[in-house]
Amino acid sequence: MDSPVRADAAAEHENQDVVPPGYPAGFGVGKGERDALLCLSTLRGITPRRLHTLAWEVGSARACVGAIRSGRAGSAADRDWIRAADATAIRGQLAACNGRLLGPHDDRYPAAFTDLLHDPPAWLFARGLVLEDGPDRVAVVGARKCSSLGREIAHDIGRRLGGIGVQVVSGGAFGIDAAAHRGALAGEGTSIGVLGSGLDVLYPRSSAALLLEIAERGMLISEYPPGQRAEPHHFPARNRLVVALSRAVVVVEGAARSGSRISVDHALDLGRDVFAVPGPVTSPLSETPHGIIRDGGTLIRGADDLLADLGYVSALAADAVAPSGLSDVEFRTWRALATTSLPDGIARTAGLAVPDAVTVLIRLELRGLVRGVGGRYERTLAGALGASGA
Amino acid sequence: MYGRVTGVTVLGVGGHLVTVEAFVGRGLPSLMFTGLPGAAVNDARDRIRPAVENSGLEWPLRRVVVNLSPGNLRKEGAGMDLPIAMSVLGATAQVPARALTDVAFSGELSLKGELLPTPGVLSVAIAAARAGIGTVVVPSANAVEAAQVDGLVVVGAASLEEVAGFLRGTWQAPRVTHRRAAPTPGASLDLSEMRGQHQARRALEVAAAGGHNMLMVGAPGAGKTMLARRLPTILPELSREEALEVTQIHSVAGLLRGDGLLRERPFRAPHHSVSIAGLLGGGAAVLRPGEVSLADHGVLFLDEFNEFRRDAVEGLRQPLEDGRVVVTRAVGSVEFPARFTLVAAANPCPCGYDGDPRKGCSCRPDRVQSYRAKLSGPLLDRIDLRLRIPRLTKDELLGSEPGEPSAIVRDRVQMARERQRHRLLDLGVTCNAHLPGPLARREARLDPAAEQLLARAVESMALTGRGFDRGLKVARTVADLEGAPSVSEAHLAEALSYRIGFGEQDGLARAG
Repeated sequence: MDSPVRADAAAEHENQDVVPPGYPAGFGVGKGERDALLCLSTLRGITPRRLHTLAWEVGSARACVGAIRSGRAGSAADRDWIRAADATAIRGQLAACNGRLLGPHDDRYPAAFTDLLHDPPAWLFARGLVLEDGPDRVAVVGARKCSSLGREIAHDIGRRLGGIGVQVVSGGAFGIDAAAHRGALAGEGTSIGVLGSGLDVLYPRSSAALLLEIAERGMLISEYPPGQRAEPHHFPARNRLVVALSRAVVVVEGAARSGSRISVDHALDLGRDVFAVPGPVTSPLSETPHGIIRDGGTLIRGADDLLADLGYVSALAADAVAPSGLSDVEFRTWRALATTSLPDGIARTAGLAVPDAVTVLIRLELRGLVRGVGGRYERTLAGALGASGA
Repeated sequence: MYGRVTGVTVLGVGGHLVTVEAFVGRGLPSLMFTGLPGAAVNDARDRIRPAVENSGLEWPLRRVVVNLSPGNLRKEGAGMDLPIAMSVLGATAQVPARALTDVAFSGELSLKGELLPTPGVLSVAIAAARAGIGTVVVPSANAVEAAQVDGLVVVGAASLEEVAGFLRGTWQAPRVTHRRAAPTPGASLDLSEMRGQHQARRALEVAAAGGHNMLMVGAPGAGKTMLARRLPTILPELSREEALEVTQIHSVAGLLRGDGLLRERPFRAPHHSVSIAGLLGGGAAVLRPGEVSLADHGVLFLDEFNEFRRDAVEGLRQPLEDGRVVVTRAVGSVEFPARFTLVAAANPCPCGYDGDPRKGCSCRPDRVQSYRAKLSGPLLDRIDLRLRIPRLTKDELLGSEPGEPSAIVRDRVQMARERQRHRLLDLGVTCNAHLPGPLARREARLDPAAEQLLARAVESMALTGRGFDRGLKVARTVADLEGAPSVSEAHLAEALSYRIGFGEQDGLARAG
């Protein structure tokens, strides 16, 4: 059997050093070319990398369609898909969700994507504000299944970046991604969500409201045509766009072998700065950030460090101090909370009776300085940063 | 040829007197029932004749009609065997008719004429005593049970022959020895066996003191079941009336082993695959009490709470509100008592390790969300105490001092209950958990510092509507445990700590 995979691999190997960056002149320019891009976007077999090579071999999007139709490139399934593709229908779906198509020579196609030497997206679907190359962008990524503290940190970083006009890029997923987006919106900033599904498929469903708000006050972008569901293999590909768009990548929490690790590998390939927020050495969620730090990433303790390292402000974060305005028992209780602890353990360390310690903990919790987690208590970000609890 | 005796049929848990008449007349040998016999009574038709003939007595070879009255009441249970047999023996003058007055009969017969252990004998005895009947004749295996009722002569017979002998005055029933179980409830379990889990132990005490229902969320192996099993050991001892009711229900369900009154508070832990009939009561021919009634005056423990069928859990609302459950089927409708403390337990997520500092959770976030969505609902509103049970580390376990024994905690609980009963006398409720919302606000009596804390809690959105009322009720119980007339800041703070913030996931409202 003639294997298109092997043929692809051979072609890629031969051309590895000769394929130029970006796309040939005229690629995706004009109505016919744009229709060809829409048709190409429905293919699910051919990789962005292979398509990029093909574009330089044949010179135009229409020629790419021809090559796939004739079977010279892509898989047999791609051939069926390209025959079934209907550019007009896709354009209709796109219009229905206020989406736009961006070709690689479009003014609004972010120049940053040409940093992706081997697999720049040949098209983009965008929804919301116009993507400009002016403002700085920073990616904040991490675990979907994160801790409360991780979520607070991501939210705080997003808020502070948004507050000084830096755009916050993330993947729109649960957990850290969502917290970073929310933070950016809370800081009156702009957020960019890069989706692993079509622009009209708001995944995860429970974040639909957040994604719609991002579309309104920032933008959503995607490589996938409208109606395309999120598939597991879309997310690593999506991560390369998140990183390429940004000048730096911040990883807040991530288990071993996480998607965040893939983002960091992209960042190293593209020469982006990498930052990581450490956590307890015992926590599985610290594995990716700690791995990054050991590999030379920059340790940050929160938004202050990040803003200083990126040159937006001059001073580093101050060392953690106790929140102001605490009474004696409150201070003793707060100090006993160096690590996440049980109420009886806190009471013992603070030298209090358990009911008294519980009273103080609830008072501190109502002031937002501590929180209960699974039957234990820990300091919140506000508590740890020494914010006034008044 | 006419005979007439008194029997008792048990519907639900209550006994109802039945007059059993027999007429032996001309015609082909047959036995016919009139007067709404149930399935088990109809069964007796073929059982009674061999039983009589195997007891050295004679079955009339004529047409026998047995009427059961009142005619509008369905007669259920094999306990009707004995009165039916006696009515025929009375009609054929094999026993003196005079001896059949002022006696109630109950018992199932075997073909050999033995009297078999019969469910519901306690209910029979209670109904007979209430109707002013002086003597009950029951299977000897159930004699101790029947003897729990005061002012009743109990005759425990092993066979139909002995019953006939008793009525003829030729046989004497052995004295029923009152083998009342010693009042040492939960002798095998004790709260002091729980190491660590200070907050959970204290929450159990509050639940016992105020009659509050409880939800425990924690990883597998954290100790949820161990804790729940020890709740009956700190609940106040059963009063005699309560013990009678508990025994009656277990007797009707056929779960009694002839040990006299049940003195321990029941602990029922049905599996989450239990059917609605199994949980709430029901059955095709005979309506049996469900787990909610078997847990009457005790603890109903539902482990893996959100794995229970939705409709079964919804069905818990009536018993939780009214303390009873009405079961309606084609064969009729009966009411069972069901006044229990609900203890529900659940894992925080499908894998169970969400929020655990050492072992990460491996669940997909959307699955955690749908798992928790099952935990909400109207039933949750009736659960005042909610807490996370952390899985303790070795150091935390070793560093904890052993807890108080159940007996000491129970004394405090009993005193707190007494104070509530005294205070709530006029309101028609016996414990804080049953206070309606508006009254909870009035009854709480917050001191100024507590008012301040409450205002702060409402402000910071930690408390909303129902959570507010729940917090006040629990705070009131905490104050009652201490014997304090008003609720202090510490009482309220403790009450506020018994709630679960599921803030660990995006888009999830706080469940507290």
